[in-house]
Amino acid sequence: MNQWEVFVMDVAELAEDTDLELTIRTLNPGVQKYTYKRVKAQVSSALDKFADQLQVRLGRGQLSKARFSIKVLEEIQRCPAKYL
Amino acid sequence: MSKINAPKSNREFVEACLKSGDAVRIKQEVDWDLEAGAIVRRVCELGESAPFMEKIKDYPGFSYFGAPLSTYRRMAISLGMDPASSLPEIGKEYLKRTNSEPIAPVVIDRKDAPCKENILLGDDVDLCKLPVPLVHDGDGGRYVGTWHAVVTRHPVRGDVNWGMYRQMMWDGRTMSGAVFPFSDLGKTLTEYYLPRGEGCPFATAIGLSPLAAMAACAPSPIPEPELVSMLSGEPARLVKCETNDLEVPADAEIILEGVILPDYKVEEGPFGEYTGYRTSPRDFRVTFRVNAITYRNNATMTISNMGTPQDEGQMLRSFSLGLELEKLLRSQGIPITGVYMHPRSTHHMMIVGVKPTYSGIASQIAHLAFGSKLGPWFHMVMVVDDKTDIYNWDEVYHAFCTRCHPENGIHIYKNTVGTPLYPFATPHERKYSIGSKVLFDCLWPVDWDPVNDVPTTVSFKNVYSKEIQDQVTSNWTAYGYPPVK
Ligand SMILES: Cc1cc2nc3c(=O)[nH]c(=O)nc-3n(C[C@H](O)[C@H](O)[C@H](O)COP(=O)(O)O)c2cc1C
Ligand SMILES: [Mn+2]
Repeated sequence: MNQWEVFVMDVAELAEDTDLELTIRTLNPGVQKYTYKRVKAQVSSALDKFADQLQVRLGRGQLSKARFSIKVLEEIQRCPAKYL
Repeated sequence: MSKINAPKSNREFVEACLKSGDAVRIKQEVDWDLEAGAIVRRVCELGESAPFMEKIKDYPGFSYFGAPLSTYRRMAISLGMDPASSLPEIGKEYLKRTNSEPIAPVVIDRKDAPCKENILLGDDVDLCKLPVPLVHDGDGGRYVGTWHAVVTRHPVRGDVNWGMYRQMMWDGRTMSGAVFPFSDLGKTLTEYYLPRGEGCPFATAIGLSPLAAMAACAPSPIPEPELVSMLSGEPARLVKCETNDLEVPADAEIILEGVILPDYKVEEGPFGEYTGYRTSPRDFRVTFRVNAITYRNNATMTISNMGTPQDEGQMLRSFSLGLELEKLLRSQGIPITGVYMHPRSTHHMMIVGVKPTYSGIASQIAHLAFGSKLGPWFHMVMVVDDKTDIYNWDEVYHAFCTRCHPENGIHIYKNTVGTPLYPFATPHERKYSIGSKVLFDCLWPVDWDPVNDVPTTVSFKNVYSKEIQDQVTSNWTAYGYPPVK
């Protein structure tokens, strides 16, 4: 199980059971904690639907009470290939 | 000129602070994930000694130095002065040194540069190898740059800039930061690199000598490598980067080298800010790709934790903004007594003392202040007369509450340069950096009859003759009062 976190202005941005493009950061312990990835994912308010868990922060960093399970479908590379 | 004995590196500074009792050595392990940040925050709020954290979880061999300049004592030490020096004495020394003959930095050989003791290139480059702290709970990321300098060069004019612009770790190779368009780096990007779609080489230096950090956040027109040399009275030692033509402080603890990307941005923030709030919205900001990391053995990462007063964001910025405005106003021949920003104003209010020799002098001061390079960083100018002690808030507050006419003395300027950081700004203003400003003119109008219209200040010093004053002060203890210090 992986722990992830996402920043949104409004929890309604996290539509359930449809493909979303999200910038999420890992909360897994270790030196990589808090690093980001851009991903295609699905989320669900049913916490046992997907193996990974997602918590949510709002505009000024407040932790939301909303919790989701998440399935990361694929990583999206936004950075132009010439820089990689 | 007597030789200045200022610490030439962060290490010398830490030693000096430990010796004078202005730093505390923390031997137990500290977590980079919030614990270190919380220690630094509490130190700032208590005005305590700077924490030198020797053991960091997950990062053997690295250490932290927090709140480097959050007291006037440490500012005095950084300038090689007596720690007990008063603020006006420290300010006078800053003015003397920055008005002195320019001193050019020197470039030293790579093999003599401590910052080259460890070099990571190619696939070895990973910011997660550095103890990048999560400073405040709820921040948008771990901040690599909280007390540092971003080094760049204007490709046409050639001038070098060191600026303290916060940098967040996005992933192991990517950082994003708040480089505002009115800053020196912001102008280099918007004037040159962005329209051409070219990457701008940069280097970030962390763990600088305290005067190099002071130069990086001073709004001086003098290029920072010269400014730090003038502040320390000797040439700063620079060394060439590994992957670009820039030169960095050779004694810095950690150097990141890379390119600012013209066509790719990632999210940055939110972050705890100098105003004491987390205000500016998370946004897509200037994005840095890191191509090399070099660092000293046993490198120390410096951490500033901005929040409620008072931290070095407020202390140092109010110090240098005030003094740079003083230089500007003097250069225009305005008969000022001085300029002071109280750190607790979070450098939002300039207090200017002036001899009111002509009408409109307060407006002239406000126009110069708001119209200068310093202007985006404060929104209040309060002008008091030459008899008011600008350093004494009780006196300034009394002048403000009694002399500032609600209609004639308060002048509002709309649609000025702003920043997304102003807590009072509307969400729209923050998004587009739209500002507004106010002048509080606390001078008696020049067209009032000085004898019959201007109120007389009723104070012990002002309404009694020298004789009566002397009689009363010399009899003071005889009356039964304790002596006045
Ligand atoms: C701790 C700290 C953090 C700062 N962060 C930023 C920042 O993120 N962006 C910015 O434009 N200025 C920031 N500043 C203010 C700049 O350092 C300051 O305006 C400096 O003069 C910029 O240099 P410049 O005049 O060469 O642009 C910060 C200052 C301090 C003390
Ligand atoms: Mn500059």
